[in-house]
Amino acid sequence: MITLRGLTKRFGATVAVDVLTVDVAPGRVTGFLGPNGAGKSTTMRMILGLDRPTAGQALVGGRAYRELRRPLREVGALLDARAIHPARSGRAHLRAMARSNGIPAGRVDEVLDIVGLDARAAAKPGRTLSLGMGQRLGIAGALLGDPPVLMFDEPVNGLDPDGVRWVRQLTRTLADEGRTVFVSSHLMSEMQLTADQLVVIGRGRLLADAPVAEVIAGSGVAVRVRGPHPDGLATLAAHLTAAGATVEPAGPDELTVTGTTADRVGDLAHELGVRLHELSAHSASLEQAFMELTADSVEYAGGPTGGGTR
Amino acid sequence: MIDSLRGAVAAEWTKLSSVRSTWWTVLAGLLVMAAGAGQLAIYVANGNTNDDPTDNAGVVTAGRVMIDAVELTQYAVLALGLLAVTAEFTSGTIRTTLQCTPSRGRVLLAKAVVAGAVTFVLGLLLGGVGALVARPVLGEWGSAPAAGTIGDIVAVATYLALVGVLAVGLGAALRSAVLTIIVLLATLMIVPLSLQEPDIAVLNRIADVFPGVAGGHFLAGDTDPYPGAVGLLLLAGWAAAALLLGRAALRRRDA
Ligand SMILES: Nc1ncnc2c1ncn2[C@@H]1O[C@H](COP(=O)(O)OP(=O)(O)O)[C@@H](O)[C@H]1O
Ligand SMILES: [Mg+2]
Repeated sequence: MITLRGLTKRFGATVAVDVLTVDVAPGRVTGFLGPNGAGKSTTMRMILGLDRPTAGQALVGGRAYRELRRPLREVGALLDARAIHPARSGRAHLRAMARSNGIPAGRVDEVLDIVGLDARAAAKPGRTLSLGMGQRLGIAGALLGDPPVLMFDEPVNGLDPDGVRWVRQLTRTLADEGRTVFVSSHLMSEMQLTADQLVVIGRGRLLADAPVAEVIAGSGVAVRVRGPHPDGLATLAAHLTAAGATVEPAGPDELTVTGTTADRVGDLAHELGVRLHELSAHSASLEQAFMELTADSVEYAGGPTGGGTR
Repeated sequence: MIDSLRGAVAAEWTKLSSVRSTWWTVLAGLLVMAAGAGQLAIYVANGNTNDDPTDNAGVVTAGRVMIDAVELTQYAVLALGLLAVTAEFTSGTIRTTLQCTPSRGRVLLAKAVVAGAVTFVLGLLLGGVGALVARPVLGEWGSAPAAGTIGDIVAVATYLALVGVLAVGLGAALRSAVLTIIVLLATLMIVPLSLQEPDIAVLNRIADVFPGVAGGHFLAGDTDPYPGAVGLLLLAGWAAAALLLGRAALRRRDA
């Protein structure tokens, strides 16, 4: 279980992650979708206690990562497949990880076997590993502690079609074993095939948190509700949730409601006496919304401030 | 706590020993020590036998010559402590390291323990090699009293271990190998030398506080300006301060 509460990260003027509130549940594959620069990697780094949130918190199994004693046994993560010492072998890399968390050395061979790296590949120095082999090594590291929570940041980058299929199967298996599996990608098409649940972000903000089926069917008409009184909105949100709708805070004075209609939200607001400044239905499919966002961020990347992403 | 420190130490040792550059650095240190001790011993013998009476050192211990050779050799040893930290930032493995051990203090302590232990053992080896090379080259102008030589070797190992830890702390604070080397050169050599250059009492006293000079007084077993033990404490203080600085930087900055 991964819990994000108002998670926010600013780098100078850039808001990389913007008040993100999400629960990633066990037993299913949750896709973390967003165009390049949307804030996926930054979110994952904050979950791992690597980047400090500007505001809000990220918890794993109810605890902050920095408090974990043997973190590899609780959370496994693949962040950057190229992050291996150029002169160190993959096996030594994994052995060091295992020793740090009191994991028996035999487990290193097990995970190498699971990810399909043979003895020869595992003995090669880091600089000679292809991106695909790096991804497999990174996944091996994530599996090392047999953790209940797994996070993979763009795991199919650099993999051949066989590798892509393998990652799909692996994430499925891990979720079926009851683990929490959180996988990021900037490709909607990939996530359609991999994920059960989708968390979509753009420019750091939550755009959707819904089952893939719902997203693909385009059935979820989203209703945007904006009002000047946070308390009133909270009351409205509580009643909407009780009535079976899904409510996501989209900002300090804004809600995104799915699973209902604008008419019903308006009626309810009237009954409760909640003042609204905006009530609008958005029927564009998520795919469309996603494409628009991608176009947006492509514009950005070409601009003078388009810095490198990590 | 102790348990996870042990794990972190084991991981750091695995990382340090699994890259070939570590062993090349050890070899480089041994060669520099052998060459340096040999050359300095030749100078001593020549000084005593040439026509110039002002450079006659008389009979010198092999330990003394070996200690003088440490001045240069220490940079090879420094590289060990330094690379154990800065290579993690260059390659990005620092994220893996902090994922394995989220406590920044524990990571740095583990690195300091490993770098300190490795440089101590290496220091013993270097001291032994230096004395072994210096003694025969000194010939009739040399001596090697057993207790004194062993004391010198242990002192050198202690000095190098502390300088290795200093490099670990600075590396964590500065992250870049080049920057760390520059700062180390400055604090160990350039700044104190510049301070001593005009030979003004006040500036000399300030220079005496710098880690390289303090370590030098410790190695020479001086009594002036302070006892050797004070030199050792000063150097240890610098190493501890560098570690605290490194820990603060690791805690504050994003990885
Ligand atoms: N260390 C950093 N310093 C400054 N800006 C950063 C840093 N890391 C990420 N960013 C910026 O934050 C935004 C989100 O980046 P990132 O989390 O890498 O997105 P994604 O993984 O979704 O592609 C981008 O605008 C990126 O340029
Ligand atoms: Mg990314």
